[in-house]
Amino acid sequence: MSLDDERVVAAVLATKPTLTSRKLSQLLAQQTPSEVALTLGTNQPTLQEYERMAQRLELTAMSVTHVGAPDFPNMLQHDPTRSPVLFFRGNLGALEQRRVGIVGTRSATAAGRYMASHISFDLAEQGIATVSGLARGIDAWAHKGVSVAYSRSSDHSRLGIPIGVVASGLDVVYPKENIELWNFISEHGLLLSESPPGTSPEPYRFPLRNRVLAALSEVVVVVESRATGGSMITVEEAQKRDITVMAVPGSPRNTSSAGTNLLLQQGCAPVVSVDDVLVALGLDTRRVHPPLYDDRTSLLPEDAALACALAGDALTLDQLVMRTRRDVVDIAFALGRMESMGWVVNNGGWWEVLGAQTPTGYGGNHGGSHRLAD
Amino acid sequence: MSFVSVRSATLLGVQGAPVDIEIHLGMGLPGFTIVGQPDEACRESRDRVRAALLSCDLPWPNKRITVNLANGVNERKGGAGLDVAIAIGLLVVQEVLAAESIAEFAFIGELGLDGSLRSVPGVVPLVASLDDRVVVVPRIAEREGLVASRRAIRSVSNLAELVRCIRQEEQWQQPADNCVEQTPHDIADMADVRGQTAARHACEIAAAGAHHMLLVGPPGAGKSMLAQRLVGLLPNLVSQDAIVTTIVHSAAHIALPASGLVSRPPLRAPHHSASLVAMVGGGTSSLRPGEISLATNGVLFLDELGEFAPSVLDALRQPLEEGVVRVARAKSSVQLPAKFLLVAATNPCPCGEGTPGLCVCDDRAKQKYLRRFSGPLLDRFDLRVAVTRPHVDELLAAKPAESSKDIALRVATARDLAISRNGCLNSALSADALEKCAPLSSAAASLLRHHVERGRLSGRGYHRIRRVARTVSDLRDQSECVDEVHVAVALALRVGVQPQFSGDKVVQA
Repeated sequence: MSLDDERVVAAVLATKPTLTSRKLSQLLAQQTPSEVALTLGTNQPTLQEYERMAQRLELTAMSVTHVGAPDFPNMLQHDPTRSPVLFFRGNLGALEQRRVGIVGTRSATAAGRYMASHISFDLAEQGIATVSGLARGIDAWAHKGVSVAYSRSSDHSRLGIPIGVVASGLDVVYPKENIELWNFISEHGLLLSESPPGTSPEPYRFPLRNRVLAALSEVVVVVESRATGGSMITVEEAQKRDITVMAVPGSPRNTSSAGTNLLLQQGCAPVVSVDDVLVALGLDTRRVHPPLYDDRTSLLPEDAALACALAGDALTLDQLVMRTRRDVVDIAFALGRMESMGWVVNNGGWWEVLGAQTPTGYGGNHGGSHRLAD
Repeated sequence: MSFVSVRSATLLGVQGAPVDIEIHLGMGLPGFTIVGQPDEACRESRDRVRAALLSCDLPWPNKRITVNLANGVNERKGGAGLDVAIAIGLLVVQEVLAAESIAEFAFIGELGLDGSLRSVPGVVPLVASLDDRVVVVPRIAEREGLVASRRAIRSVSNLAELVRCIRQEEQWQQPADNCVEQTPHDIADMADVRGQTAARHACEIAAAGAHHMLLVGPPGAGKSMLAQRLVGLLPNLVSQDAIVTTIVHSAAHIALPASGLVSRPPLRAPHHSASLVAMVGGGTSSLRPGEISLATNGVLFLDELGEFAPSVLDALRQPLEEGVVRVARAKSSVQLPAKFLLVAATNPCPCGEGTPGLCVCDDRAKQKYLRRFSGPLLDRFDLRVAVTRPHVDELLAAKPAESSKDIALRVATARDLAISRNGCLNSALSADALEKCAPLSSAAASLLRHHVERGRLSGRGYHRIRRVARTVSDLRDQSECVDEVHVAVALALRVGVQPQFSGDKVVQA
């Protein structure tokens, strides 16, 4: 049997409900997939099953790796709960890069999305891979940042590679609106799942996915998370594996930041710009690289004061008027001006300020929140 | 005498149509037949008329009675408003009354079994359609009748009195002239609204320019409160507007004010279970005006916009553009006025919280919720304002906010200014007229240009913002030219309802 056939056998074995993940993983550590198949006796897969799986893998452009295969990711090799078989599209070589996981809530604020996309953009520019789960909200925006970096650059070889870890089969796009990102990652990066083709995104698969996501990251950055939720599962999995967890601080009024603020209380390192992540990776580039700068026009002093009043919270025009005690027309004018400069955004009626506040307030040059402007 | 013809009128939509009631008394088995497509209420009039005549000690002919409703149109004739005319006809045909004595009269009213006259829907349009006659109406509807015709109205309270008056045994009672002018004391005041600076400002703009407004906010933020107080900012209805609104209200049989004339803009706030027919009109054989017509020259407030049936909401689009609604049925079609100011309120998302960071809905859930409103409908709201619950300090503040009276003064000034310049309110400015009536300063033009380039404004949105900016300018500075600050306010009060994510170029990349 050729090696390719061994992979098809491994893929078929992964679909067998009688073989638990742990058992298969143990068996594959000692035997080749075809040897394992022979031990199954009456449950042994039929020839048709192999053929169907081979066709399906070819049709959906999926590759397979398994415990014992030479290209099985070595950061998973010694994982106690490793997945025995992994399905992937793209290049497993992506895992050679430095890898940062970016995770967060599905109901994110505009400021959270801004943070996620900008950190991943900057990481990609530094040649660091972004690992994320392709869910709605923060996950998707982390990869969007990478895709912007790719669309801006002609030389893709020096950019960080996007790595997506998903819960469903790679041919079942969930959520559907992420199809473009899904394709982008298949083309330029590595899309990974432990579920065989055609697996639907059942709820129990997401915590399992989070364990793979955590295991593949060197550092996990939580951008926004509620006190309970998927991101906190990823954090737990990362902490079990001694993987550094970092969190982006948020307003205490913001329930979307309750989880990240909790992590900070527990002693996680805060992330306010990409530099913090680079330091955690041992890649302090601040002395070598010119500081990334914010090319937005500096704010007028009164606008900067308004940005400070808005900091950390999403406020309606009313609430801003109340907080600043300024005339409503005056504020509306200022917000319009700041929106056109890219400093604030109206999110369905609520205004949010974009970017991190420096000791000098908003509007000065500061590293890290490099704007994805053209 | 075996035949007589008496004039009355029936209602279709908001228009009266004269009907000649022909009565024939013939030999044969005693009986009473109404022909000429009467509806059910009309057919029942035989029992009411008989009882009323007998109650008033007037004779009932024990002969074969045939009543024909003739108006030259092959339409169903509805309502109980023909009762009085039939009763009078029966008295004439029995020669209790002389035929000549009723020649100049027309009769409108329903009869009670005791002979009293009751009001019917649409007295105003019915009287208006009988302008060549002296119209006798129930006393209860005298004020309504006077709205349509100052001179030729007589009112009576029961059939016996009517007969005596026609026989000239008694004087017609003169209409009471003490029209009590309706005072807006019962209208809720803006001073009750605490906080909500932006929303108050939006209400003022909506009132001044007749711009449709959408309030987005969590439950308990005061959306309904604001909408109800918006009516108080509108000026009194004058001349033709007041008459049109009165006619519609009369046709729908809604209680009119004591003066008979609706002089305050109406507020209609149908529940979200309203059917399509209830909203646009129709349903009965006389095609009763719907809520949008009842809100003519006033405010139509749709609370919980997302809970209305999509078909009902989409039915608003054409009347919003044209100011009239044409209700067509197999047998008849009518045109009803529907020039209203639309104010709607909705929650921002399924959880109702809305504030990013506090709301638990993900993008998909929000978008699914917003999909209930069609884009074209959302586009018609010139003002879209996010409303939040007021801060506790504001809620408990002793100092009341600015009252409706003061705001209404500014609104009236701005309206006068707009009408003297445009000939219409700002929301009705056409795209061509905008260049003439609302020229942009160069800074304002470049701000608008920026938003159009960024894809935040559609072509239609561009014009809408310019109209609102014109109103903002009329309210604040009365300047010739629309300035940057006016455009900025218009933009800030027309927020995107769709969740905007990063707002950065990432969206477009």
